[in-house]
Amino acid sequence: MPQFDTHFFSSLIFWEVVSFAILLWVLYKYALPPILESLEIREQKIRQSIEQAEQNRLAAEQRLKEYEAKLQAAGREAEAIIADAKNKAQRLLEENEQRLRAESERIQAETAQEIDRQRRKALEEIREQTADLAILVAEKVLERSVTSDDHKRLAQEALEAVAATYGNGKTARP
Amino acid sequence: MENPLHPFELHTYVPLSLLGLDISLNKATITMWIVVAVVTGLMMQAGRTRALVPTKLQNVAELLVDFIRSMILDTMGKEGLRFFPLITTLFLFILFCNLLGLVPGSYTVTSQLVVTAVLAISVYVLSILVGIKLHGIKFLQILTPSGTPGWLLPLVIPIEIISQLARPLALAVRLFANMTAGHVILGVLFGLTIAGGMLIGWLPFAFTIALYGLEVGIAFIQAYIFTILTCVYLGDAIHLH
Repeated sequence: MPQFDTHFFSSLIFWEVVSFAILLWVLYKYALPPILESLEIREQKIRQSIEQAEQNRLAAEQRLKEYEAKLQAAGREAEAIIADAKNKAQRLLEENEQRLRAESERIQAETAQEIDRQRRKALEEIREQTADLAILVAEKVLERSVTSDDHKRLAQEALEAVAATYGNGKTARP
Repeated sequence: MENPLHPFELHTYVPLSLLGLDISLNKATITMWIVVAVVTGLMMQAGRTRALVPTKLQNVAELLVDFIRSMILDTMGKEGLRFFPLITTLFLFILFCNLLGLVPGSYTVTSQLVVTAVLAISVYVLSILVGIKLHGIKFLQILTPSGTPGWLLPLVIPIEIISQLARPLALAVRLFANMTAGHVILGVLFGLTIAGGMLIGWLPFAFTIALYGLEVGIAFIQAYIFTILTCVYLGDAIHLH
């Protein structure tokens, strides 16, 4: 086999060692460090990105929980406000009802009093007018002057008669 | 028919001598230079961009670096990482010697037993030096597998010595034989193609195409095997089994 031709061994060994040494030196010194470095940087970058993403996820979850809690609190608050408003409205309604009832009762009572007063007043007036009328009538009927004593007695009698006719007895005086 | 061993013949192109040592240039030495130039160019170009989103070449180089690093971590552990540049160089040198040998008209450097032997012996001697440096005399434990009963030692130690010596031999011969055999078969098939002519020559020619694809695979596999065995031997020296 031509490979066992020892004539070329020395040059093959020499150039192999030289070639290999040069290649090792170049790769070790110049070619491998940048490749390793960029690998390292990418690894760091990816790790950082993953960590960052994890942090973001946790923060987002935290915020979501906060919002949910706030939402629940707001819901409860709204319910409380509605219930309160209902209560107030109910109370207001009842108060108004009571006030109106009281007002109407008062008006009723006042009206009754007024009516009673007016009735009394009317009775009084009628009584006075009747007395005058009676005197007038008596004078006409008698067509004579009467003494002051007669006058008085007659008037009294007429009054009593009128009272007996129109009044209810309470107004009669001696 | 052409001699299938013809492609392995070397002829001195430029006679050179250094301190009485014949270092004449021939096809194999020039191919080695080309290998160094190609690997240097590719790796420098790959490292030049340093982009966060890698370019195609950078991606391949990073894949390779990652592949070799995980190979080292698997076989040697973290202590092995200081051999990373050496292992990478070894892998790339063997791989490109194998691949460049497949270029028609070039020379397969790794089909020279002396070339593979230099690599294998260097690697083996390095593993022994590392073992002695790390463990001193205790490194001889490598000849006594743990749990061996004392009375078996006279039998086990010679066997272990043979297995140790077989390591560089196997390393060298495996690579040399694979490369030589592949090219011999290719040469034979090409010879048949030419001898067969248009009538029957297409059959061996079709085989050469298929075999050529296989040879590309073998170029990678043999570089990988040589490198991983180097890692295993260094790992043995570091961890003593």
